[in-house]
Amino acid sequence: MAERRIGMSRRFRWSTASVWAAGILLVLLVLVPLFELFRGAIGEGWATAGDSLAGSGGVVVNTLGTGAGATVLAVLAGTAAAFITERVRVPARNWLRFGVLLPLVIPPFVSALSWTQAYGPGGLSDDALGIALPGLFGGAGVVAVIAVNAAPLVYLIVGAGLATRVAPDLERAARASGSTAWEAFREVTLPLLRPALLGAAALAFVVAVNSFGIPALLGLPAGFGTMTTRIYQDLARSSAPAAFTRVLVLAAALVVVTVTVVTVADRRFGLARTVVRTAGPVGGVATPGRKSWWPALGLWVYVAVTALIPLVALVLGSLTRAVGLSPVPANWTLANFREALAGSYGAALGRSLALAAVAATLVVLLGGLAASLVRRRAGRPIGTAAILTFAVPGSALAVAVLLAYGPWLRDTLMIILVAYLAKFWALGHRSIAGSTDAIPPDLYRAARGSGAGPATALGTVIVPLLRPAITVAWAVVFLFAFHELTMSALLYGPGSETLAVVILNLRQLGDVTVTSAMAVILVVLVLVAFVPVVVIRRIAGEASP
Amino acid sequence: MTFPLECRGVSIAYEAESVLRALDLEVGDEEVLAVLGPSGSGKTTLLYAVAGFVELAGGEISIGGRIVATAHGQDPPEERDVGFVFQHYALWPHLDALDTVAYPLRRRGLDGDGAASQARDLLERMGIAHLAHRKPAELSGGQQQRVGIARALAGRPALYLLDEPTAHLDTPLRVALQEELAEQRQESGAAAVYATHDSGEALAIADRIALLRDGRVVQVGSPEAIYAKPNDVWAARLTGPASILDVEVARAGRRESVLRCDGRTVKVRGAVPDSGRASVLVRPDWAELGGDLPGRVAQVWYRGPYTDYRLETAVGLVEIRRDGPPVARPGERVDWCLRRVWAIPDGAPEES
Repeated sequence: MAERRIGMSRRFRWSTASVWAAGILLVLLVLVPLFELFRGAIGEGWATAGDSLAGSGGVVVNTLGTGAGATVLAVLAGTAAAFITERVRVPARNWLRFGVLLPLVIPPFVSALSWTQAYGPGGLSDDALGIALPGLFGGAGVVAVIAVNAAPLVYLIVGAGLATRVAPDLERAARASGSTAWEAFREVTLPLLRPALLGAAALAFVVAVNSFGIPALLGLPAGFGTMTTRIYQDLARSSAPAAFTRVLVLAAALVVVTVTVVTVADRRFGLARTVVRTAGPVGGVATPGRKSWWPALGLWVYVAVTALIPLVALVLGSLTRAVGLSPVPANWTLANFREALAGSYGAALGRSLALAAVAATLVVLLGGLAASLVRRRAGRPIGTAAILTFAVPGSALAVAVLLAYGPWLRDTLMIILVAYLAKFWALGHRSIAGSTDAIPPDLYRAARGSGAGPATALGTVIVPLLRPAITVAWAVVFLFAFHELTMSALLYGPGSETLAVVILNLRQLGDVTVTSAMAVILVVLVLVAFVPVVVIRRIAGEASP
Repeated sequence: MTFPLECRGVSIAYEAESVLRALDLEVGDEEVLAVLGPSGSGKTTLLYAVAGFVELAGGEISIGGRIVATAHGQDPPEERDVGFVFQHYALWPHLDALDTVAYPLRRRGLDGDGAASQARDLLERMGIAHLAHRKPAELSGGQQQRVGIARALAGRPALYLLDEPTAHLDTPLRVALQEELAEQRQESGAAAVYATHDSGEALAIADRIALLRDGRVVQVGSPEAIYAKPNDVWAARLTGPASILDVEVARAGRRESVLRCDGRTVKVRGAVPDSGRASVLVRPDWAELGGDLPGRVAQVWYRGPYTDYRLETAVGLVEIRRDGPPVARPGERVDWCLRRVWAIPDGAPEES
């Protein structure tokens, strides 16, 4: 009996320590800054805050409208894509899935850049056919490009919902009971999919409202501002006290909106569970027989128009000698790339790489260690907190971090790193914790039963099983940190510009060719970093039945 | 004659891999055909093809004399008049038991009240009327499958398709559900195809059994014939406990033969080829303890009403089943005798 008590008390201390570690990190990185933010926002009284918000009514309406519009479009596109790849027997299913997911690995502001070069005035379509997309600069363009970027998230969640909530046998049972395909869809598929659809909509809305790069590049030139771009303009370009109050109030309001949406969605639809599944949808139906070409063709056209053609336009732009020239081989040059890699631009690229690598390593060490030690029950509140952290808009988090740690770290790379850790800790923690949860507790028990102590059991059984998850977590954090723009744009100082910031600033000064080259470099590096993720997912997919 | 179900040359391929190969089968009126095969042999695919969930690569399927599927086109599942019971129940998480069972009734044009009252009767028949308003998550496995069976019964189909309906239940429940299922089916008078990997189940419930191996039907026959006269060693082992002995033929006969085992001549029921040596199947009930052949007990399993013994003998390992508790222990020398054999036609002793 005595021996058994000792064992239990030791296990208790292990988990308590890790919960404390995770908790303290959360407090320092997120809660302290957010507390400062809210204290600042209502520091001059609710009335002042209210006035400030009312004075920004235009951008608030723009933000919510953009969010609603982009959500509707993203849900429609993502759901249709999920049904086509998961429920229709399409040729080259895996390539199609990859195509649909492509925008996930393209930084949103690069999407905006590439759309302007594909469909904007002087862009590819203008050059080839004399057609430029009207409204690309302005609200409509912002909504469209945000929707394109959010659609893959909807696709992942709905696809996972189709696989896990709507087993094909449930639809078959309806058909065998006498339902037509449409009746089975309406009475079985749709009701079962509703939580996934609403959860996906909530997530798309949050992504849209938090979006900064796209409205900065497509909205601002046309005078269309959102809350995030107003924060950026006020913070960067104005030193008036009223402007600073407005920054705090807008940031706090953003936090309230997004955290409310995510909390409700998490409670109602288990968002924490669905979002974790970053892998492609699994368990598609292999229906033997002839392949259906038409749905696949439609989806390919969508992928081409929304992602492939803009990327091609971006690459052509980066190769062309000067704006206004046709992107034909005669006008090609590598000078843009040379310039993009030289001097202060090259230094910015190096800074971004280093920042991303350090952030990814720290996130994996801190968040991952905590996740692997924390037992399920203790881990759950922290998991929810982590999801909430990720929902906190980058703009607001950056302002909060600036308030809390600015006095010591202003204009340094360190403050950007702190903001990255606060923002991306959730990503690392969740993907490792998700995989910890998937390890049957009996495996650990079997190791203990075979004579391994807690640490040995962890090191020999749990950590090896987690290795793929740890690698993926590192790569994912690296990806997000590497192309991060929103927070860097608010926190950078002289000498601490990241690559994304340089692209934004240069583009706003009117440069097209060199910024295109930088964006191409960024995308290529992101794709390279994405390779281990794909490889590991594929191996993991083959290992599980 | 029209069959409730007729499959002619049915072939199905998933991606490039063929799952069913030129399969022929028919099910007679009110007949239960058990499709017996190991996992991966194509049982589920066959049932899915009949129900219309997968498309054919070749051949045709007729239900009640009407062609419902060929390689060129097929009727949708809802027009095939089949009742499907799924291995993993496939109950809709958002519907309670009553709505689930009423579902096929509403599809057949009944109004809400009529469907509900008939559904209630069906739940009554399955003994789960008190669970009418529970959703699948609140039901045990056995209760879930009762709902699944009631749903299949509700449509009064001409043909039942049962895909290992009891595979995921524990033994007592399994037997109870098998009995209920048999009773309900008999009452309805419809034909049924019953996929299973359990030979005991197949022998107990079927009028005929088809053995499925790698997407091919390798043998069809009555349960007695399948048990007593398997085509090859694989079929012998699939259909029940089997000892394969290598014996010397002294005299081949049509009904009775004389074998030479361990230097002694033994007269047995069953024909063997006149070929010097032969591989013969011996079921546990075809040999007895006591007699003039020597052996040594290797293992003993007490099973309640009877005991299984495994003997090491000069002709190989022999399984013998005897009523009552064990009468010998492992390591003991015992005598035994051989009553009946089946000379396996495709007799090369292969290990599966």
